Amino acid sequence: MENNVHLIDQLFRTEYGKLVSTLTRLFGTAHIQLAEDVVQDALIAALDKWSVEGIPKNPSAWLMQVAKRKALNELKRNQMMLGHELGIANSQNDLDQIGTVFMPNEIEDSQLRMIFTCCHPALNTESQIALTLKTLCGFGIQEVANALLSSKSTINKRLFRAKEALRKMNAPFTIPSGAELNSRLQSVTTTLYLLFNEGYNASSGDNIIQKEFCLEALRLCKLLEKRFTKNPEIRALLALMCFHVSRFDARLDTQGGIIIFEEQDRSLWNKKLIQKGMQYLQASMNETKLTSYHLEAGIAGQHCIAESFEKTDWKSIYANYQLLEKLKPSPIIRLNLAIIQSKLTGLESSLALLGDLESSDVLNNYHLLPATQGIFLLKLGQEELGKSYLQKALKMATSKRERDYIKSLIH
Amino acid sequence: MREYLLILKGDGMKNLSPSELQGMFQDYQSWVEKLGEKYLGGQRLEENGALLKSQEAEILTDGPFLEAKEIIAGYFLIQAESLEDAIQIGKSSPHLGLYQIEVRPLVWPKMK
Repeated sequence: MENNVHLIDQLFRTEYGKLVSTLTRLFGTAHIQLAEDVVQDALIAALDKWSVEGIPKNPSAWLMQVAKRKALNELKRNQMMLGHELGIANSQNDLDQIGTVFMPNEIEDSQLRMIFTCCHPALNTESQIALTLKTLCGFGIQEVANALLSSKSTINKRLFRAKEALRKMNAPFTIPSGAELNSRLQSVTTTLYLLFNEGYNASSGDNIIQKEFCLEALRLCKLLEKRFTKNPEIRALLALMCFHVSRFDARLDTQGGIIIFEEQDRSLWNKKLIQKGMQYLQASMNETKLTSYHLEAGIAGQHCIAESFEKTDWKSIYANYQLLEKLKPSPIIRLNLAIIQSKLTGLESSLALLGDLESSDVLNNYHLLPATQGIFLLKLGQEELGKSYLQKALKMATSKRERDYIKSLIH
Repeated sequence: MREYLLILKGDGMKNLSPSELQGMFQDYQSWVEKLGEKYLGGQRLEENGALLKSQEAEILTDGPFLEAKEIIAGYFLIQAESLEDAIQIGKSSPHLGLYQIEVRPLVWPKMK
């Protein structure tokens, strides 16, 4: 069984989301917890059996069969037949018909419904992310808590409240349509974007990248793209994710330490993903709408296609950041603009801009500002001053890997 | 040697992620291996069954009948040198923490 650990882990993570979504469709959004319990029960039964008898030929089908049987039992037991959205199973005879929701297309459909439900605008962003991770990505409570820098009991409460809220408003388990669709899609893409970011720049723990978050966000985003094929926003977001994921293997050394962008081995970048990203980005340009995802994907894409760090098209990246700053002004973007300035007019002019940013409330506690200043000063030979900035950055950085890297610069 | 029943109470596995669950099962397997002949058997229980209070009382079937932490989730049957030994075995169980474990010696001789 040892060798199969990874296999089962992967299988369970994806199957968990599929099954919880499907069962929620049967039980209704008021009973997400029940759907989760039933699926969890099926997973435990599977592990129990497989650890003795080995993994069956088609483990997904096996799991689904068990979940289906347990779901039927629950439906019978709780007599929740009336009022659930399918509306077909009003009598025992119709129980067979629930089989249709277990067809592959319908499972995908249920997952999309689940995405929209988790990202319901009545829930706050943190609840949306927590609920998505728990119900669609098969994260445990402890894992959700780690991911969101929170405690188990806080996450438990938050999930409970979110499910209560959905139950009380009697949220329909549907994919919104018409005028509502666009605004709902926006909160979905925002949640997936945040989920991806949390994974891409893990703010806590030993790993700077929580790969799984990113891959889950990517998987869900692909699911969206499949349904809403012409949506430029989704495509641009997908392009952005592809570009970032393509560089994963080059971002860390064998011990999990950070390799800074400048020093990454570009031959390790995943060419296929970069290509995929380019396709999505190009396709996203067909429409006139320009979103921040387009610009961010444009920037990441520029980096991905540059032959070397030196040969990067900094002017075009700068222009993209300028547009981004116009679209959604933020000190973080101004920080990036100031950094790129160093490539255009030199370190001194960049340092002057970085100095101006020190007064920003948002950046006041953001380690990357003093870290950048420190690194630039070191490059200019100003050891003493540079190191004092790095000390300051060290105090603000929360991730172990980042702290290790900053320490390596000081000593 | 005497037989003991380790009764597991709670709903500890409910909120574990797939990888946490797997870790649990692996620990459980090596625990059983380590116990060798002291491990006689064990089983998980479904949450729902029926509760019979008396001949006259209504048969309850819409359980669980207890608070989550009191639900009997499963049991292990072991043999041990003494209660102390049985407690040590219970303590070494990977289930402890997720579940509370009640250690109860079986009455000897057996009921006929």
